[in-house]
Amino acid sequence: MLLTSVILILQEILEAAMLISILAVISRQQQRQLTWLPAGLLSGGILALLYAANMRSISEWFDYVGQEVVNAALQVSIALAIVLLTWLVCAARARGSLEQNRPGTSLDRRFVHVAALTISLAVTREGSEIAVYLGGFMQQPDKLQAVLTGSAIGAGIGISFGFLIYYGLLALRGRHGAWLPLLLLGLFCGNMLSQSALQLTQADLLPAGPFLWDSSAWLPESSVIGRLLYALVGYESRPSALEVCAYLLGVSAVLVSAALARIRR
Amino acid sequence: MPPAERWKHRLALLLAGFVAGPLVAATPVIEIEIRDHLFYPPEVVVPADTKVKLLIKNLDPTPEEFESYELNREKVISGNSQAVIFIGPLPPGEYPFFGEFYPKTAQGKVLVK
Repeated sequence: MLLTSVILILQEILEAAMLISILAVISRQQQRQLTWLPAGLLSGGILALLYAANMRSISEWFDYVGQEVVNAALQVSIALAIVLLTWLVCAARARGSLEQNRPGTSLDRRFVHVAALTISLAVTREGSEIAVYLGGFMQQPDKLQAVLTGSAIGAGIGISFGFLIYYGLLALRGRHGAWLPLLLLGLFCGNMLSQSALQLTQADLLPAGPFLWDSSAWLPESSVIGRLLYALVGYESRPSALEVCAYLLGVSAVLVSAALARIRR
Repeated sequence: MPPAERWKHRLALLLAGFVAGPLVAATPVIEIEIRDHLFYPPEVVVPADTKVKLLIKNLDPTPEEFESYELNREKVISGNSQAVIFIGPLPPGEYPFFGEFYPKTAQGKVLVK
């Protein structure tokens, strides 16, 4: 049970940890406060518990595909929020002056609100699965200790990984430090849209197509690197054309948003 | 048949397919049960190139997460509840799945023939 919990919690936490790290780096680069982080974590945690507590009835919505519809809605909302964040970040950069980003200015307030919303939605999605998993062991006291220990280790590794990304990105200076966090944000946005397309396919609300490629022979999703890449950039060894299109759409939306914000300087 | 006629014929067939397709091709339903963190049956056979509806009944009081890398599917199933997962159309082959919450025992596969 211990190892299972380590892996499960780690997988769920990695994605959110990466998003938080990227947003934290962007905030620090623009000398903003991290006030959005506790707000996002707290509201996301509460929403995750509510989602988990109502998982049974939500799953029965829309002829037993309610979970897919809610997850897809969360993922599309995260993607939209990321596009908006990109615009706010690049608009602030284009204005150049750090005066614009000081706490209390309208650009700063909007960034804080949208960043908190993004984190809140991401934590709702991933946290609900953790809450359902741990909730299942509440009536099994014999296994609870091993599961909680494993979960703590998994969470510890996931959070450490987040710090690694955070300090790694923060150490980058000059041009790389500016575009790499945005590129990662773009990949995250693509990942969200691709996952939402997959959820809606699973619910039979979008058509299923043949695999566009099959890289499972040389990089299986079940491998450690495969799982890591899945959590970080949405790697799939056998994606459908629809998923790939959704991914590219997400990445392009972030790039276009960044470009438009620069043009409007 | 002259070319124009042939095209009309094809168009009519296509339209008929759109109208009648969903009525004729009812999605096959495959039932899988979860009991004591095991899948019953552990292997299910489904036809190739066909969309299939998996109806998974979790008879355990504990939740489980149906997961398959090969099928690209992942879904939480609360204790004492049921879930629907659509899979396919798939090429012939073996597609393993497992219960992510109890992976040591909850293992199964979809055989596409």
